[in-house]
Amino acid sequence: MFPENLKYTVEHEWVAVNGDTCTVGITAFAAEQLGDITYVELPETGLAGSQGDDAATVESVKAASDVYLPIGGTVFEINEALEEKPELVNESPFDDGWFFKLENVTSSDLDSLMDADAYAAFVKEQDH
Amino acid sequence: MQRTPLYDEHEKIGGKVVDFNGWALPVQFSGIVKEHLHTRSAASLFDCSHMGEYSIKGVEAIQKFSDLIISDLTKVPIGRCRYGAILDESAGILDDLITFRMAEDEIYVVTNAGPIESVTKQICDDNDGAVHVSYETAKIDIQGPKSRDHLLGLGFEAATELKYFNATWTEWEGHKILLARTGYTGELGYELFMDNELAPEVWNRILECEGVEPAGLGARDTIRTEVCYGLSGQDFNTEISPLEAAMEPFIAWDTEFIGKEKLERIREKDEYAVLVPIVTKSRRAPRHDFEVFHGENKVGVVTSGTFGPSVEHGVGLARIDREFSKLGTQLTAGPKGLEIAITEVPVYTQGTCRIKI
Repeated sequence: MFPENLKYTVEHEWVAVNGDTCTVGITAFAAEQLGDITYVELPETGLAGSQGDDAATVESVKAASDVYLPIGGTVFEINEALEEKPELVNESPFDDGWFFKLENVTSSDLDSLMDADAYAAFVKEQDH
Repeated sequence: MQRTPLYDEHEKIGGKVVDFNGWALPVQFSGIVKEHLHTRSAASLFDCSHMGEYSIKGVEAIQKFSDLIISDLTKVPIGRCRYGAILDESAGILDDLITFRMAEDEIYVVTNAGPIESVTKQICDDNDGAVHVSYETAKIDIQGPKSRDHLLGLGFEAATELKYFNATWTEWEGHKILLARTGYTGELGYELFMDNELAPEVWNRILECEGVEPAGLGARDTIRTEVCYGLSGQDFNTEISPLEAAMEPFIAWDTEFIGKEKLERIREKDEYAVLVPIVTKSRRAPRHDFEVFHGENKVGVVTSGTFGPSVEHGVGLARIDREFSKLGTQLTAGPKGLEIAITEVPVYTQGTCRIKI
């Protein structure tokens, strides 16, 4: 259910490691829980921060929720398509619905993230 | 949780059921935005069987009921519906309601699920002609510009000429149904009241019509917010008077009603806040309980807020100090200072509810 090649946080962000950079989004589980996503506020490129810092806001019909930096780093690209089509997050959370890309990442932060199996188990617990 | 007679039908088609005022009801089927847009462009079916209904028969019983509520029923012609509210002694709103005048000596009253116990006490105590029928009555709403076509196709002849805010008893395949051209969507639409046993048959027959989709509480909420209809228990409650809930046009000051004395004092004091529609410039939504600010000063609170799928920006209702409630006033709301502006009712202006047929 969750792509094996990604790393996951307890806040339901995912991280794809592409060499020196990382792509970040929210998981299908998070998107499903939020329901129809109607607005995504992305960070400015150049935003630098540590793991757990505020990075984005995602709003659905039902609620608003914060997205954090899953690892330390600097935002160098954002998914501008989400401004016009926030529904991409529901339709394609692990692909077209990505949020931002990080460079200068704190690689050691990756060790604190879950793999797909651990995240699946975590979600199962949450869903109870 | 209590179940409506349509609970099994919702399960069958994958409705996502939540607790709403103690009732197990679907919040969505295919998705809130999709259901919302479908209601505005075609027709959607809503299970509203959790709502309260009262049958009041006899001229005296009607007068007794009329003496409870803020509106004046004496001038309501047979077949017409009238919006109103029932207050407590301190002029707080117990509930809002719609009264249908079915005959000279018969009215039918529709209220909400939340405050049903206190409302039933007010309506039925000391009034033998007033009967609480909620628990044996199902209410199915078909709402949207195509709703009339579907009802006519199914043989609901009474829909042919029924005007906006009118209601009538009708026979459908040998069953008695109250058909009202009302609803809380701003669209052409009908509410059908019937015995619980009949509800699954009516629900499924309408749902089988091509172009009708089921919709849940989520879409109901975004739809009513776009047309600025307040929701009992959310936009107003017993802490709030009708003057503070945009109900002034419905108050019949020349009649008697519970809470009138207190309400007159609130009016004379002239310091009450008002409920106004608000909009944002972006897709970002105001949210229930956001504090509203004018500069540094807190001047109100958001009572309802959401993204409006038809208007494609944030919409809501807020209770604002009157001084800051003028049309166009720019304010901010919530912890992040979301910019909001006070606007006119309704925010969504393309509704089909009043269409002449």
